Amino acid sequence: MRGALPILFHKLAGLAAAFLAASLLLFTAVRLIPGDPVALRFKNPDPARVAEIRHHLGLDDPLPVQYGRYVGGFVTGDWGRGLLSGRPVAGEFRSALTATLELTLASLLWGVPLGAAVALVGAGARGWRRGLVSGLGGVGLMVPIFWLGLVGLVVFTHWLGWLPGGGRWSFSDLAPPERTGFLLVDALLAGDFSAFAAALRHLALPALCLGLFPAALVAGTLTTRLEEPSVEILSRALSARGLSPWRLRARHLLKLAAAPLAVLIGTNFGALLGGAVITESLFSWPGMGRLLMTAVLERDVPVVENALLAVLLLSFLAAALADTAAVILDPHLRRAANR
Amino acid sequence: MDPRRHLPLLLALAALLGLLWTPHDPDAQNFRELALHGPSGSHWLGVDGLGRDFLSRLWCGAGRTVGLALLSTVLGLGLSAAFLFLAERFPKTLGRLIGSAVNLAVALPSLFVGLLLLVFLKPSLATLVLSVALGNLPFAYRQLRVFWQTQRAAQHVEASETLGSAGWELFRRTLWPNLRPAVATLAGQLAALSALELSGLAFLGLVPNPDFPELGALMRQNQSVLAQAPWLALAPGVVLAGLLAAARWRK
Repeated sequence: MRGALPILFHKLAGLAAAFLAASLLLFTAVRLIPGDPVALRFKNPDPARVAEIRHHLGLDDPLPVQYGRYVGGFVTGDWGRGLLSGRPVAGEFRSALTATLELTLASLLWGVPLGAAVALVGAGARGWRRGLVSGLGGVGLMVPIFWLGLVGLVVFTHWLGWLPGGGRWSFSDLAPPERTGFLLVDALLAGDFSAFAAALRHLALPALCLGLFPAALVAGTLTTRLEEPSVEILSRALSARGLSPWRLRARHLLKLAAAPLAVLIGTNFGALLGGAVITESLFSWPGMGRLLMTAVLERDVPVVENALLAVLLLSFLAAALADTAAVILDPHLRRAANR
Repeated sequence: MDPRRHLPLLLALAALLGLLWTPHDPDAQNFRELALHGPSGSHWLGVDGLGRDFLSRLWCGAGRTVGLALLSTVLGLGLSAAFLFLAERFPKTLGRLIGSAVNLAVALPSLFVGLLLLVFLKPSLATLVLSVALGNLPFAYRQLRVFWQTQRAAQHVEASETLGSAGWELFRRTLWPNLRPAVATLAGQLAALSALELSGLAFLGLVPNPDFPELGALMRQNQSVLAQAPWLALAPGVVLAGLLAAARWRK
């Protein structure tokens, strides 16, 4: 454990640097690029009116004052109101993030076990079992997830008519009372199983298709790990003690692999969010993707400055935590870090 | 010449041909009465919802995807090499700075880099290429650095130095021949990764105009007729997967 604390401090310092760099970048980008975000809203901008709105938004204050207010507001959670929607940005961000996290977590929930199972079955084997690993890896590396989504839409929505074609919720379904914001959890809390089924029907296709990315990642990395010579020696020794191959895989090898798995997912959290954004766009899922794309294209200053910064920080944070966890969990790295 | 070894190159060239020549003009709506018709003699893959020859759009789209992916690969590798040069030249100052920046930036997928760039720039081909190149930069830099450091520390390099070789001469005659295969493999990987990310960004709408023929953008455009003509949205993905499989081809 001794080596972990300095690493954590190091990572926190890096995170602070990332925050400073990203916030400064966004701040200058939004303000110093030609094309005033306020004048952009008008067909025939009236200078007096534009100046009045700029003043109201605080865009005519000296830049250091504006930056201070921006960072202060971001840290305290006062993110202002969106220029397009007029609603508080923090609230919009929260509901969009909940929708995205619902999708991301659901995809991890089936993708990671699938990847782990494929790796446990395929590692060290030959023939079709090994083919499973390379097949899943190939799908993850060579087939765009939105294409799989399109295939899913054709089959399950247009041909079979089993699943809805997009969205997170249908108008005709009665929504459960909001508690956590996660529709599945809210429906369960309310004991409303028809709402649960409705939410699940909407979630199924996007989560299935996004889940293949972590599944491929986990299967590939885990197989490489399990085929390392040291692991092979261990499994040979354990099977010499009379453990059946499946018991060996389920008990000992999985335990060995759990730590790198957590790290792998943390490191790739940003990529997973990126994949979620594309999946969302395909299935008109009301998540971060829609919020950020609109905000960026329409130069919605408060949303860009706060929501985009928050998403960037979230990816950085996940990677930093994963790196720290790696050092805590892996003795080799701990020794290297102490040196 | 073994054609199997050159399969990726041949396929890429075939795709790039679509930029120069296609059976019909990929943007012309000449066949409106045939809209959504299936394959026929003059339109081998049918006509899309706006009366445009689909084979031409697909071919042109594949050419764009391959061309832009190659551009961003070259840009990404070039920038990585430049950063690596600077980091090796000034290890105490620039080297540390670049190292920390790369460690941070590795957490950002090209999609977020693209979103960040969109704050500065209008959606255009340059933005698209730059997003992908910068998004893959940390990965490319790290890989290049590993190759470089293992080669630099090798004993035969030390031997050449003892014999008086230095600078460009040392690089060209001793280091590069051993670096080349690794860099070539990395370039193949990067090209495949870039094509995948590029089509994802294009699918999201990060293209100069909504009718832009590019494989990812084609899938988005034809998603609206998914129920009537699924092949129009699905075929570009098949082509893309084939190209990516070829780029990762190992003999």
